[in-house]
Amino acid sequence: MSMFRSKKMDIGSFLNIHVIRDHTKRKVYAQFEPERQALRHIIRNTTLPARTRAEAQLQLTQMHCYTRPTQIRGRCLMGGKGRGIFRDFKLSRYNFRMQALEGNLPGVRKASW
Amino acid sequence: MAVPRARLLSLMKAQCEIFSTTYNPDGIRMGNKILRQRLRGPSLAKYYPPKGPSLNELLKDFKHLELEGVNEEFEDWQEHIAGFVSTRATMGF
Amino acid sequence: MATTISRSSILQPLRQTLTRPVARQPRSAFIASASRSKASIAKPNQTTPASVPSDEALTVPFPMRHEVHPEEPAIRLPRSVQSLYLQPLRREANYGVPTCDLQLRSYSVPNLEFFCDFALRAAYYLNLPAFGPVPLPKIKERWTVPKSHFIFKKSQENFERITRRRLIQIRDGHAESVQIWLAFLQKHAYYGIGMKANVWEYSKLGVGKEMEGQGQAMQEVIEDKMKLLGRDKTEGTVQKVQELLESERFRIQG
Repeated sequence: MSMFRSKKMDIGSFLNIHVIRDHTKRKVYAQFEPERQALRHIIRNTTLPARTRAEAQLQLTQMHCYTRPTQIRGRCLMGGKGRGIFRDFKLSRYNFRMQALEGNLPGVRKASW
Repeated sequence: MAVPRARLLSLMKAQCEIFSTTYNPDGIRMGNKILRQRLRGPSLAKYYPPKGPSLNELLKDFKHLELEGVNEEFEDWQEHIAGFVSTRATMGF
Repeated sequence: MATTISRSSILQPLRQTLTRPVARQPRSAFIASASRSKASIAKPNQTTPASVPSDEALTVPFPMRHEVHPEEPAIRLPRSVQSLYLQPLRREANYGVPTCDLQLRSYSVPNLEFFCDFALRAAYYLNLPAFGPVPLPKIKERWTVPKSHFIFKKSQENFERITRRRLIQIRDGHAESVQIWLAFLQKHAYYGIGMKANVWEYSKLGVGKEMEGQGQAMQEVIEDKMKLLGRDKTEGTVQKVQELLESERFRIQG
């Protein structure tokens, strides 16, 4: 959502609307994480009155979808792809292969065994 | 030899006091595991690398050290505009 | 070092100044001393004493010298230079209480071996009994990638990354000198090598009281450091819980 988006672009990797969106979601999640965790705690705490817990449930569901961690997805730093990303390198499988063959990834070499 | 439950509980209580954990012998769900979780936000938000300085900013920063350079892209753009303006002037707009 | 440049001409004027009797001995003596190996740590009899090794043990490994100028008495290099040609020296541990485990990791073996050697020498000069380097199991990570598009799944390519590890253990080290050693290694960190250290300290009874006394004074310093440490505090959550429970929306219900 554009209301969360930063006015000035603050990332230096490959740019693409999906990447910008994902970056925005990450920042929004980081901002609202304490609140989400607090609500989750209230919901799970059986010593609190049931009404309070129900209220917390309501509030949690009413939070914006950008504040959810499940919205975050790993994206390729070089091509912005959303699938087939290696977590270790934050690269998609194709970009990983290209970089590995060029020798840009320290220690990674062609294997045969 | 069986140890009485009360004794075990008192031991547990002392243990909780020493290590400052919650004494909860009945296993009531207090949601404390959520309070114990670390916040993942800061590390998640660092996924994409931050933007580096632009060439013009670098040139400006190094000017006081008398290091100078040329931003070719910027100069080309300026030239293009100058050319555009001059052609417009000759065409009489 | 001057190996081939006419050594006689360089050393001629110096010869008079050298009062020490110069060791001239067969090469076998050097070989015997050079064979002091890493395995020697296991056998306490073979370990070198904590003092600087004798003259004979540290002859320069230049077989050439005797061949080129057999009539010239050999002149030894400075001991610090000589010892570079030999296995690193080691201190003996009296009690064998481990105080520091240093793990070195790298993708390349030569760098790793070199830096292990460096660390062992540094430990010797800091009077720390060092053990190792013990090669730990390699960490092999493998990735298999389709070479081209989705439909050509049959042709794939394998990549791997092998992390090699070495463990150097310090026993009976004084906590402070261990810290100095680690700081020295960090200062002269070699490229492509990661270091990780576990440090154990032993102190007298009644540490708790001592620490409590120091606690308040240290509080500021600790807080500054804690900000930089990886563990993200959960206080945010706790504060938020209180805030929420006290908020209007929740209180009306309660």
